[in-house]
Amino acid sequence: MKKIFLSALIAAGLAGRLCAASAEDSRIFTPFFDMTLSEAAFLPSEGNIFSGGNMNTQVGLLAKATRKDHLFGLYNFNYSGQGFTPQDSKQFTDRSMSHGFNIEYRRVLTDRIRIRPGLSLNREYRRTGANEVWKNGLYNMNSFGGQLAADYTFNEEKNGYVTVQYLFRNVKFPNYTDLLREFQNAGNTAETSGGLQDQAMGQISLRPSWNRFFAGLTYTVQNYKNQRVVANTGVYGDDKQRDSDTALDFGFHHSLWIFELSPMVSYTMHSSNQNFMLYKFLGDTSPQFGEKYYDFKELALSVPLDLNITGKWAVGGALGLQRRAYDKRSARDTDNNFTSAKQVNTMTTLTASIRKRINEVAMVRLFGSFIVADSNNKFEKYLPYNYTGKSFGIAYQLSY
Amino acid sequence: MKRLILIALALFLAKSPASASVDWESKGMQIAGEIIANPAGFFYDFQQDLEATTPLPPGKRFGFQMGLFPTLIPVTYTNFSGKYRLHGEGRIAPGVPQLDLVGGYWDMLAAKMATRDSETIDSAKFGGYYLGAIMSTSVSPRVRTFWGYKRSKLGAKLKFKPGEEPELLGATVSSFDTGFKDDFFIAGIETPRSVGKLWSIQLNYGLKTQTFSSKVSWYGKYFELGLNIYPEGVLVVHPVWNFHLNF
Repeated sequence: MKKIFLSALIAAGLAGRLCAASAEDSRIFTPFFDMTLSEAAFLPSEGNIFSGGNMNTQVGLLAKATRKDHLFGLYNFNYSGQGFTPQDSKQFTDRSMSHGFNIEYRRVLTDRIRIRPGLSLNREYRRTGANEVWKNGLYNMNSFGGQLAADYTFNEEKNGYVTVQYLFRNVKFPNYTDLLREFQNAGNTAETSGGLQDQAMGQISLRPSWNRFFAGLTYTVQNYKNQRVVANTGVYGDDKQRDSDTALDFGFHHSLWIFELSPMVSYTMHSSNQNFMLYKFLGDTSPQFGEKYYDFKELALSVPLDLNITGKWAVGGALGLQRRAYDKRSARDTDNNFTSAKQVNTMTTLTASIRKRINEVAMVRLFGSFIVADSNNKFEKYLPYNYTGKSFGIAYQLSY
Repeated sequence: MKRLILIALALFLAKSPASASVDWESKGMQIAGEIIANPAGFFYDFQQDLEATTPLPPGKRFGFQMGLFPTLIPVTYTNFSGKYRLHGEGRIAPGVPQLDLVGGYWDMLAAKMATRDSETIDSAKFGGYYLGAIMSTSVSPRVRTFWGYKRSKLGAKLKFKPGEEPELLGATVSSFDTGFKDDFFIAGIETPRSVGKLWSIQLNYGLKTQTFSSKVSWYGKYFELGLNIYPEGVLVVHPVWNFHLNF
């Protein structure tokens, strides 16, 4: 579920990048290049030092066939390495790598309205700390789909526009299998547990932007093709799993004197009809039932601030906060028993950094972060919920 | 001011209350295990350090490059790379990109010395080469993007004398014969840092093995300084120093 939601966000992000690229009036072809790279060392309060990084490369070409007809192709390579992650998401050592291909046709209808139909193909590889071959990742994912977006410009002077977009994806997990079901049906050689994560995803969004302020309302639905909802008897019923997310976000990027501020806040409501059975050990005959186990509300806040002390150098800081409160999921004690309190996870990050602009298209940043992860869930055999950590690293960005 | 900022950042990191500590012995064991699991991958990262995968500067017809650190010193990769411009940007017709051929070869000197002088190593041979082409085009007076392809190959063979096999992580290692071969896609961008000095960043992606790296480089007339990052490698960050001449 989280992986798909992430993909949806990536898709939405890509759409934003696609929208941002614009043609130079005098050229038929305009290239687009954006590369960001960061590498950091991580010191968790429990466990040993490790390193990890993120890399994102976008290369594209905008072709202006006529004054009103444009075609934009984009390849996106993304790598997400080891690192501290919010609770209930993934292990520190999990990594992912994806290749995305997008092509978008842009048609200018009037001076104020433009439509953008497009196609998207994405292949994502995942690997764990076991370092399995990329192609063998249990959660490897292929997706294919399309989009239809419309932009309405209401204020040219302040770059004010509204984008309405619908996108859909057919998502497949070719390697995914339910290991528990395979174990329980060891005598059955036929493939019975594949395709459980396969799904159709749809997303509709409304995004206004004006004078470097932006906001968004996004609704995402994931309809699972094979995964069914588990009942309180521990048996899968007839209903198929269906998840949805409603997300609101707001932010801006403005400078005042030497201060450069780009805060962003988002609020997500996740809903799923899936339940959960808690087996404390293999063969547990009295498992505990968790109804609507995956529903939550999540608030994410990010406040980066840079102080431009010279034309090239800036010192900065950032505060990040992510708080997830589950609607019905109970927290667990250290012995893996449900408690009476609903689970709440919080992750706070404080970052200090130095940024140097190399020229108008490139910059480098040295950063150090302090992180506190806190939860009332005390069962941490498989995923860490309560820890502190430090990280320090370097980041580059080159964008044209 | 810069010094003050760096001191402040260092204090922030050193004095923050995370009670983290580093177990270097355990980290060393982990690194040794990763090298044993994939020796070719480990040595190939150093090959990428010496590979000349940036385009020739505009107006230059050919160039030579030698990797100095960490290739020649300390891992003793004797190496040589060359670039040859097949076509200058806009020479045939306006807008046609510059096209360079690139290639190089390396041989590990320490392996030869070990074969001859070591009492434990029976034979050792480490070497590799690469060939490719880089296409570059100016997208503004101050920015060039480049695209390319390279085929890289590496061979690594090591055999210990009977009775002299070392033990690593509880396993006796008698020999290994491994290699690496892949076709890479390259994409990068280059921009001036100051007069006669350039800055570039590039992605190298292996189509079969999914090996990838990012190279950040600063270069002038004679030397190239770089920070190569191998996110999935054993040694993730390689500081790089290369010597080059372009004519």
